[in-house]
Amino acid sequence: MKDLLALFPPADFSLIGFILAMPLIGAFVNGVFGKRLGKDAVRLMALTAIGLSFVAAVVTFIVLDHQVDLSRSEVTEAGVTHVKYGHVRLSWLAWEWMRISGPRDASVPIELKFSVDALNGVMMLIVTGVGFLIHVYASSYMDKDKAYWRFFAYLNLFIFSMLLLILGDNLPVLFVGWEGVGLCSYLLIGFWYTKLPNAAAGKKAFIANRVGDFGLLVGMFLLVYYTGALDWQGLEAAAGSLVNTSDAHQVHLWPLGGGQFQGPLAILQPKTPWTITAATAVGLALFLGCTGKSAQIPLYVWLPDAMAGPTPVSALIHAATMVTAGIYLICRLSFIFVLSPATMMVIAFTGALTALLAATIALVQNDIKKVLAYSTVSQLGFMFLGVGSGAFVAGFFHVFTHAFFKACLFLGAGSVIHAMHARVHDDERSQDMRNMGGLRKYMPLTYATFAAATLAIIGFPLTAGFFSKDEILFKALVGHPVHPQAAKLAARNFPVFAIPSWVGPTVYAIGVAAAILTAFYMVRCLILTFFGDFKGWTVGRPSMLAKHEHAHHDDEHGDDDDDHHHEEDLSQPGYPPHESPRLMTIPLIILGTASLFAGFLNPGFLKGLLHWHDIPLDHWLEPVFETATAAIELPKEEALHSKEMMSTVGAFMAFAIGAGAAYWVYIKEKGKPARELIQKVPGLYQLVLDKWRVDELYDRTVINGADALSETAASVDQGIIDLVLARLSALLVAALGTLLRVFQNGVVHVYAAIMVVGMAGLGWFFVAPHAQAEVKAERAGDYVIEAAPGLGYTYRWYPDAAGKPQTETFGAATQIKVNVEEGKTKVVRLEIKNAFGLTGSKDFTLTRPKAPPKPTQLQLGQNAVPSGERTN
Amino acid sequence: MIPVEYYVALSAILFTVGGVGFLVRRNVLVALMSIEVMLNAVNLALVAFNRSHTDAHTGQVFAFFLIAAEAAEVAVGLAIVLSLFRVRRTVRSDEADLLKN
Repeated sequence: MKDLLALFPPADFSLIGFILAMPLIGAFVNGVFGKRLGKDAVRLMALTAIGLSFVAAVVTFIVLDHQVDLSRSEVTEAGVTHVKYGHVRLSWLAWEWMRISGPRDASVPIELKFSVDALNGVMMLIVTGVGFLIHVYASSYMDKDKAYWRFFAYLNLFIFSMLLLILGDNLPVLFVGWEGVGLCSYLLIGFWYTKLPNAAAGKKAFIANRVGDFGLLVGMFLLVYYTGALDWQGLEAAAGSLVNTSDAHQVHLWPLGGGQFQGPLAILQPKTPWTITAATAVGLALFLGCTGKSAQIPLYVWLPDAMAGPTPVSALIHAATMVTAGIYLICRLSFIFVLSPATMMVIAFTGALTALLAATIALVQNDIKKVLAYSTVSQLGFMFLGVGSGAFVAGFFHVFTHAFFKACLFLGAGSVIHAMHARVHDDERSQDMRNMGGLRKYMPLTYATFAAATLAIIGFPLTAGFFSKDEILFKALVGHPVHPQAAKLAARNFPVFAIPSWVGPTVYAIGVAAAILTAFYMVRCLILTFFGDFKGWTVGRPSMLAKHEHAHHDDEHGDDDDDHHHEEDLSQPGYPPHESPRLMTIPLIILGTASLFAGFLNPGFLKGLLHWHDIPLDHWLEPVFETATAAIELPKEEALHSKEMMSTVGAFMAFAIGAGAAYWVYIKEKGKPARELIQKVPGLYQLVLDKWRVDELYDRTVINGADALSETAASVDQGIIDLVLARLSALLVAALGTLLRVFQNGVVHVYAAIMVVGMAGLGWFFVAPHAQAEVKAERAGDYVIEAAPGLGYTYRWYPDAAGKPQTETFGAATQIKVNVEEGKTKVVRLEIKNAFGLTGSKDFTLTRPKAPPKPTQLQLGQNAVPSGERTN
Repeated sequence: MIPVEYYVALSAILFTVGGVGFLVRRNVLVALMSIEVMLNAVNLALVAFNRSHTDAHTGQVFAFFLIAAEAAEVAVGLAIVLSLFRVRRTVRSDEADLLKN
């Protein structure tokens, strides 16, 4: 440890650079050379990259834990001894990225800096650890794919972006990672881009995320504007200015930006301008970013469609890591979010409603991946419900446990699909649970791990999901975020939003309802897939059905089918589904085990029961959320305990009711009640099956609106820009071209003739005399006329055009000086004679205005114009 | 001694003859010869005027430079005529319309 610390001091922990660099190198090598390297080399490169990254992450975490232990201190407060830990960071500055100007023209440095504390340390372990397992799994799952190298290049790039996101020490670095994971998500959803729905799903994910990213950007701008910092420590120090009561620190919603409506618009002016505190504005903007990335209402619609990607991608990106980035951001900036109880309430409600809505949709889906996708949306809702209620540790703990069990569920589903696909040869039907059933017999390992993960997600007591979900529901019930300066501001009559007391129990009730539904649809999924009889014998084998009808056709092989490349005889029932290869089952076993036991890292329920203090996750995370937790009001000790028991019982009942109902419906009654219910309310069933038609609603409103806008823009483009600007100028040029084309006729002697004409013109110009001169005004009515020089020119001046010339003969005098009296006009004549004896003349009229204020204001420009020209 | 005006008049006549020949004849070889006539008219004028400036030889030196330039011009011009003839089997300028259309 001493050597490690000597090599990597906490303030310059360059091992972070190594963690980041490995996946990037992997992505580069596989992306650029992967096609030539072959499958084995690609696999080796990808697994080594992420594996080394994981090892380095573990070393980092050990150092971090050591530093945390060093910061342990015991504080005695009112006779009770508390154990306290410090907020320890390991940081590494790569280089300064740029400088931007902050408030009052202060220069804000944006550094490419990374830091690890307990929060992103755990995240880093999840990303590299679960990422490694999924890489191993994918190396077998994607074995038959032609674009193997491309897949692993993207996957490594994703790991790099995700690490950039979580390890970044400031918002801009996080944002780069945030966009990077979005890009990788897009690339991997549309990995099989030749199929149109997959490409469309990728686009949908990307565009939905753009909306969220807009919020994140606005949040960042607001933060720079109000606090002048973007790094975590700077923000924490300056967060107080977000709740400043001065008018400059309020965000004016109406009139926008704090203006004043004038004239006829004055009726729009409210009596008092509608304002929110900067903290609320920042919180809501950042939360919009989180709803995009973490698939919450209203931007959740992309995640279910994202299942078009390969299953390992769904497990890694769309379940375990990327989609939890929103929770991570809120946890990371918890000290900002707690400054605005309104934002906290919005987060809690959004989370609770998303959890419930997604759970209802998951109830009726038949595609196994769709069930898991909506389950992910629902579980993310639980996490937001947690952090929105101020239970940051619990919410983040759910991120942690969810990473295990949801990755395990997805990989298990992938294993099932893998087996089904070998029989069915159809993407759509191999994911349909109605074609499965009874797989327990054929795929025991997959079944065992899938069941373990299911137990975890439905909250079976003492599994990982039980501890985390129970903690979230408990904190939702009791937690009450309060504005940190509420009392002080109330005394000054400054309006402060306080969360009504009914909010806690309401979101708790919604959460319990969602938990019941979760238990039901997950057990349904488990039963439909693994119990009963296998229904896939005849699926995808049209020839088998046809055989009975056309028995006389001996060679009925369905050769014109798109399955003809398989050598298997499709007229036979075929081999039973088989267990997946070991490279796929080993990650499943590890993740399944973790789903069962990871909960003991933070068993909040046991903590109270056993008076256990040094709970690992808790003592790591407590210092991170110290500021934020202080703003959450909890009931007194005794009331807390009774409520804890109540909420635990509630969570357990939710599990028991949901799972029991599913068992009764699908095992005891073989799905009869479900079918009867569907027949009774077919309309409702269809509505839920169509995902409450939210996609259609968005189509009608947002997408049609955008279409209309783009059509308007297109008509402007076509009507004005294309027609008037482009066509008209093209027409002008074309007309000019037609005119000039006459001269460019390709006949040599015409060119010669034009040349001769031109030469003649030049000759004339040189032969003809040009009487040109420049008139200069000097002081007191003096004018100097300077004649332009020419070949062999001689000059004769007439000081008065009507009078005699200055000299009788033409001379060399190129200038003449005349004096004009005030208010008088004089005409001066210049005669020139050139080498051929030709003469020309020109008159210059000089007028001096009466009593000018200043002699320089003579209106020479207008008056000293030539009045005539003569050539002889 | 013959006055300079005679030379200038001869030069002008030669130049006009060359110019008219260049404009009206379609045979490229004749056109080239017309150019030679024009250039020699210029040479003549230069040398003639040089006689009125006995202290300098600018006009005569200029004439020599012009002769050198003429030689180069004829070399290039004849090469072009030759290439044209190879492509078109003609030396008439109105049929040399390879760049047209």
